[in-house]
Parts: sequence; C-alpha cells; structure tokens
Amino acid sequence: MSNLSEPVKRASAHTRRTGKKSRDLNAISPLSNVIFNIAIGLFALSCIFPFLFIVIISFTDEKTLAINGFKLFPEVWTLDAYRFLMESGQQMAQSFGVTLTVTVVGTALTLYLVTTYAYAISRKNFAQRRFFSFLAFFTMLFSGGLVPSYIVVTQVLHLRDSIWALILPSIMNAFYIIVMRTFFTTTVPDAVIESAKIDGASEFGIYTRIVLPISLPGIATIGLFSTLGFWNDWFNALLYIDNANLIPLQTLLIRIQNNMDFVVQNSSRVVSYDIASTLPTETVRMAMVVLATLPVALAYPFFQKYFIQGLTIGSVKE
Amino acid sequence: MKNKKTKKMVLLMVTLLLAFSTVLAGCGGSNTNDTSGNAASGGEAGDKDTVKLKVYLIGGPQRDLPMVQEEMNKYLMEKINTTVDITMIDWGDYSKRMPVITASGENYDIAFTSSWAYDYLPNATRGAFLPINDLLDKYGQGIKEQLDPRFLTGSQIGGQNYAVPVNKELASQWVWRFNKQYVDKYNMDITKIRTLEDLEPYLQQIKDNEPADITPLAVPKGFKPYLAFDFLLGDEFPVGINMNGDTGKYVNVLESEELKSSLKTIRKYYQAGYLRKDVATLEGIDNIKTGKWFVDREQTQPYAELGWSRSAGYDIVTTPMQDPVIFTGSATGAMHAISANSKNPERAMMFLNLLNTDPYLRNLINYGIEGTHYKKISDNVIEDLPAMKDGFQMPGFALGNLFLTYMHKEDPADKWEAFKEFNNSAKVAPSFGFNFNPDPVKTEVASISAIVKEFYPSIMTGAVDPDEHLPKAIEKLKAAGLDKVIAEAQKQYDEWKAANQK
Repeated sequence: MSNLSEPVKRASAHTRRTGKKSRDLNAISPLSNVIFNIAIGLFALSCIFPFLFIVIISFTDEKTLAINGFKLFPEVWTLDAYRFLMESGQQMAQSFGVTLTVTVVGTALTLYLVTTYAYAISRKNFAQRRFFSFLAFFTMLFSGGLVPSYIVVTQVLHLRDSIWALILPSIMNAFYIIVMRTFFTTTVPDAVIESAKIDGASEFGIYTRIVLPISLPGIATIGLFSTLGFWNDWFNALLYIDNANLIPLQTLLIRIQNNMDFVVQNSSRVVSYDIASTLPTETVRMAMVVLATLPVALAYPFFQKYFIQGLTIGSVKE
Repeated sequence: MKNKKTKKMVLLMVTLLLAFSTVLAGCGGSNTNDTSGNAASGGEAGDKDTVKLKVYLIGGPQRDLPMVQEEMNKYLMEKINTTVDITMIDWGDYSKRMPVITASGENYDIAFTSSWAYDYLPNATRGAFLPINDLLDKYGQGIKEQLDPRFLTGSQIGGQNYAVPVNKELASQWVWRFNKQYVDKYNMDITKIRTLEDLEPYLQQIKDNEPADITPLAVPKGFKPYLAFDFLLGDEFPVGINMNGDTGKYVNVLESEELKSSLKTIRKYYQAGYLRKDVATLEGIDNIKTGKWFVDREQTQPYAELGWSRSAGYDIVTTPMQDPVIFTGSATGAMHAISANSKNPERAMMFLNLLNTDPYLRNLINYGIEGTHYKKISDNVIEDLPAMKDGFQMPGFALGNLFLTYMHKEDPADKWEAFKEFNNSAKVAPSFGFNFNPDPVKTEVASISAIVKEFYPSIMTGAVDPDEHLPKAIEKLKAAGLDKVIAEAQKQYDEWKAANQK
C-alpha cells in the first residue's frame, strides 16, 4: 500500500516547497478520485450491508423482532439464537463436517482433474488436442438434463446416500477446463517447455516442476471457484441424500427455506400450521446463515494475493 | 484426413447422444400400459417370498424413524411377510423430487400424493400410478369398509382410482378467527357474524378504541373475500361454478356480482384503515405470534380452534363464513398411490389396507413406540414424551386412516365422531368428482396464473380502487385466453356429466 501513496507524498512535499500544485502525469484529478472512491465505497457498502443486517438480526431478540420488525439497532440484544444452535446443534455440527469434507476432497479432486486435462489440451504437440477440447466444450452446450444425470448417479453408479454423490457429479467442469487451458497457453511459454525437454525432464516432470509452480494464480482462481461451488452446493444433496448424517449445511438451510415457501403458499391449509411450528425462528435462521457463510468469507483473503498476481502475470505480453 | 475423422467422430457422437436421449425420454413417459399383466405374477398373502416395499412419504425426515421402522417390520413380517423401507422427503422438496424419481423409472412401491404436493391428477394421467380398483376389491376390503365412499368417488379419474385416500376431514369450510381477548373486552356477539359486511361495526370498534398497532383485519396479500364458488383450479384462478346460481356453468369469477360487492366492501375497509397499509405486498403475517390482531380467516376442521389456541398460547374463537362443502380437491387432500413401476402391487395394497384398518400399526407409524415416544393414559388417549418432539414428529394426516389414531388428553373425547359428523353434514359441490385436465389449454392457464399473481393481491385486499383496476385485470385475462379456458372446462364438465348421468 505505501508504494502506491509515494507519488502523492512526493506531490504534497513538492506543493509545500513551491506553493504550487503539481501532479503526477498519470494520476487522476483529486476531484474525480474522490468521486470514484465514493462510488466504489457505496458499491462495497451495498454488498456488505445485507450481510451485516443478517448478523444483526441473528443477535436480535425474537419477540422484539416480531413486534418492531427489522431494525438496525434492535432494542434487545441477545445470544439466544446461537445458544439454541449450540444446544440443538448436533445436526449443525454434523452438516458442517460434511460440507467441509466435501469441499476439501472435492476441490482437491477438481484441481487435479481439471489442471491435468487442461494442460494436455493446451500443449500444441498433442495430437488429439482438438478432439478433447471439443469433447469438453460440447458438454457446455448440450447436457442430458436432470433426469438422465439422476439415472446415472442412482442406477449406474449407485451413489444414493453416499458422500460421493455430493462430490463426483461436480468434479469435472468444462468451464474451468477452458479457463485453465487458456491460462496455460498464455502464461507458459513454449520455450520453457522446450528447454526443460532439452535438459532431460520427463513430461510429467515438466508438468509438476515447471508448469504448476508458474501457474499458481490460475490454479488458485479455479480452486476458489470450486471451493465456493462445493461449499454452496445444495442441489445434489437434495436429490441423492436422505440420510441425516450426510446432509450438508446449505441443504439444511435450503430445506428450511423450501418449507417456509411451502407454508406461505399453502397458508390456507390447516396442515401448514403443524409445519410452521417445526420451523426454526427467524433469528435462528439468520444465525444459521451467518455460520454457513462466515468460513468462506474468511477464506477469501487467503486467495487475494494470487488474484493480484494473476492480473499482473496476465498483463505481460509475450 | 484427420479433419474427416473428427467430423465422422462428431457425427457419431451426436447421433448416439440423440438416440440415447430419446430412449431416456421414453422411460419418463407412460411406458406402463401393461399393468394388468404383471398383477398375476405377484404373490398371494401366504406367499413364501418376503417382500420389501419402498415407500416415499411427505414430511421432515425424523431421527427415530429407523427404530420405529424396525418395530413396524417385525409386525408386518408376521402379518403379511413384508418389510417396508420408508423415506421421508421434506415438505418443500417433495414436489420437486418425486417427479425426478418417477421419471428415472425407479421401481418404488408407494408414494404420498395429493392435490397440493406431487399433484395427483397430472401424475395419474401421465401414468405414474397404478389403477387400483381390482387390488382394492381383492386386498383392500378393509379400506372400503372404513372409508367414506365419497372419497373414492371424488378421486376417480375416468372411472378409475389411482390412489387410496386418507380417511380424514372431507369437507372444507372457511371461518373467521377472532382474538378472544377483544371479543370479551367489548362483549361482542360473534355468532351474528358470517359475511365480510357483518364485520364492519366490530372492526370500527377496534379501530377506534385500540392502539394503532392492533390490526383489526389481519390478513396478508393472499386474502380473498369468500365467494360461494366451486373453483376449477383453486381460488387463485378466476374460473368457477357459482354454487348459488346456475350450477351447470363455468363462469368468469371476476365478472360476478358477488365479487363486485365484496370488493366494494373490502376497499371501504382498506380506506378506513382496518387492514394493514402494506397488505398488498405482505407475504405472510405473523399475527398469531404477536397477538396484535382482532380477526383473520382460515380453513377449519372440527376443533381446529383448540389447536390454534394451543399453538398461539392464547384463546382463539371462530365463526363460520359458510356451511361445509365437499370439493374434489378435499377428497384428494392426502392419498397413497402405488407406483406403476411397482414390482409388488399386491403387497403394497395389503400394507395400505393395514395402515387404514390396523390401529396398532397406524399408531406406531404416527406416534412411535409406546414407552419411548409416548405413554398411554387410557385405552386410546396418550401423552407425548420428550423423545417424540426430538425425534419422531410425523404428519398424522398424511399416513392413513386418521380415525384410528390415539388422542391427546386435551382433545375432546368425541373428536373423531365430530369429524365424521362434519363430513356427513357437508353439501357436495356441483363438480365433485370432476377432475379437469388442463393439458389442452396449458399455455393459457400458465399466463392467466401469472396475471392473477400480478393483479389479485392489490385488488382482493382493497389496496387499489376496484372500479378502475378490475376491468383492467379482466381485459388482460381475456387477452390471455380466459374464455378459451372456460370453454374447455365447460366442454370437459359436460362430457363428465353425461358420462355420470348427472
């Protein structure tokens, strides 16, 4: 950060010395700088605010909420929602574990499969390159749809009620492959591979010792994508999982959401009463959202440095 | 050369893919016309083979289900040499997941179906369920004895039954619910109240004398004034038969005089501030929780107010808007269908027969194990134990004959008699037993539903002036093909009447 403000410091020193304003040629005018900062600040706020609000609601007293509605500064603060989750949180903890396992295993597998596939089709001297590129690309345009994939997972692979049903269906992703392939072709110069070959490296050695280390930014990007993908995936569990011990966190949340929608839609039914009484209260739901979102939000800064690097590497022309 | 090869390869792939997908699409369709044939290949009750039935039910998955299922299976093995494997699918997910399971051709045996979840009519028409009339005669005699015959009449499609209805309340009736503390406070005689117009002086009283945060008429955007109509596709669709008019004709509900006068009234109420200002955008209203309300509306069943008062924590009293009526939809409120792909339809029917006739089994699946989930106070009265709340809360109305279930000590002793009485006292709607098939006018139905969603909340709650907006809505609906839907409904209804000599 300090090197960014260097020209500004120099400029202000210069101003002090001469009493005249002079600016770095490349700097934007202070006024537009302020305007840009305000605009971006507002945008950032509008992104953060809803989540902030959820956090506040999760600390609000349920009764106050029913009477006053949502307030930024509720009259009564309480930890009840979190206490409730801790007490009845056996399912929460279990689901948290499932989500974590699926995310870690799934991301590792995704990275392994996607990078190897993408690297192979990024090499110009690979004979079947076009065919395999097309094979991946084709799946982006045409997919069998829900029912065929359901049949494959349940009746061909027999993955119902197994943790693999949450991992295997999403480990290969054509979009990631295309992104990764492009990344390899632009950042790994052919010359490097040539010279490694001359030095006697095997194909696999070139891949692990030369290509992967210089492609870290791209891998980090795909890693983040798939981490988010696995962490937020609820649909697979909805289809394939009935065993309560294998339900991920997000599916737990979406079930509550679906049940609420159901109650609202069928509010004229006597039965919706019994269902409504089994749903967690508003504050508990918000507390669940906080617990489900926070870990991923906290993981993001660790990827941050790779993104910055990724941008700079990408901007160097060969 | 290489290019040619790739082209060929691609062509082959595309062809294969297309072929494959048609095969799969075929699986999803009704490939089960031959249902009478495989019925013979099954077994009789005394068959040597043990059969495992795959059962899908609606409701939140319960922790103790495996334990209870084990008990059930012990009993079922003795009785009919069968075991069951029950999967509960949560309320909100059931209608999403069952079609996928069915389309994948999985050979499950029994699934919950109804007019509001995994819809009975379209799925039966599509061939997802087995016609069960022969099975009922052979293995379901007990069901036929127990069940109000109108259930079976009302759930017939083209003269065939495709599911066993749950014996429960058959009629539907709208009531006004009142927060009793205000009724007592102002000594109101609510028995005089029936129509929307009757409410006026009482609403006025609350508005004038109570603080502003008490909502006199506490309803969300789903509110509609009660109309004595027999609706074609529920009250969110403006087509129905006027039960006080020509009962042989489907008409546009929005053009009826009854609705016009009700809308005038509700508009007046809105302007007087009896409803919430934001009612037109209010998804739901948690008046029960806050207790800051005077009157709302709800569909009832015998002794419903006891349950309402119990869950609210204060007293709620009711007065009817109408006499109970039996609609087709109420006969199909909760049912169990046997899958067209079932390998053991006879055993499935035997199991359903037990569910509807055997008190031990029926209460086991509903309340769990005696001593663990509940304790008996007397012969058929129980008290819940904590384990029930933690691990075994089953939706009683969706499991089978409701009149066999134990009662709680708060329940009135004549609870089930009252239900039967309620069913017997009800009038039958003109179109009872008629099931409309919307397929020929699918597009129109979809676009009309979308327009209704846009216009209804603001018009029906009085948030906008009906004189201005109702004609607009009618015009839009006509443009979307409302008349075509009415004509189609009329045609099918006349055919149905002719077939049933009504």
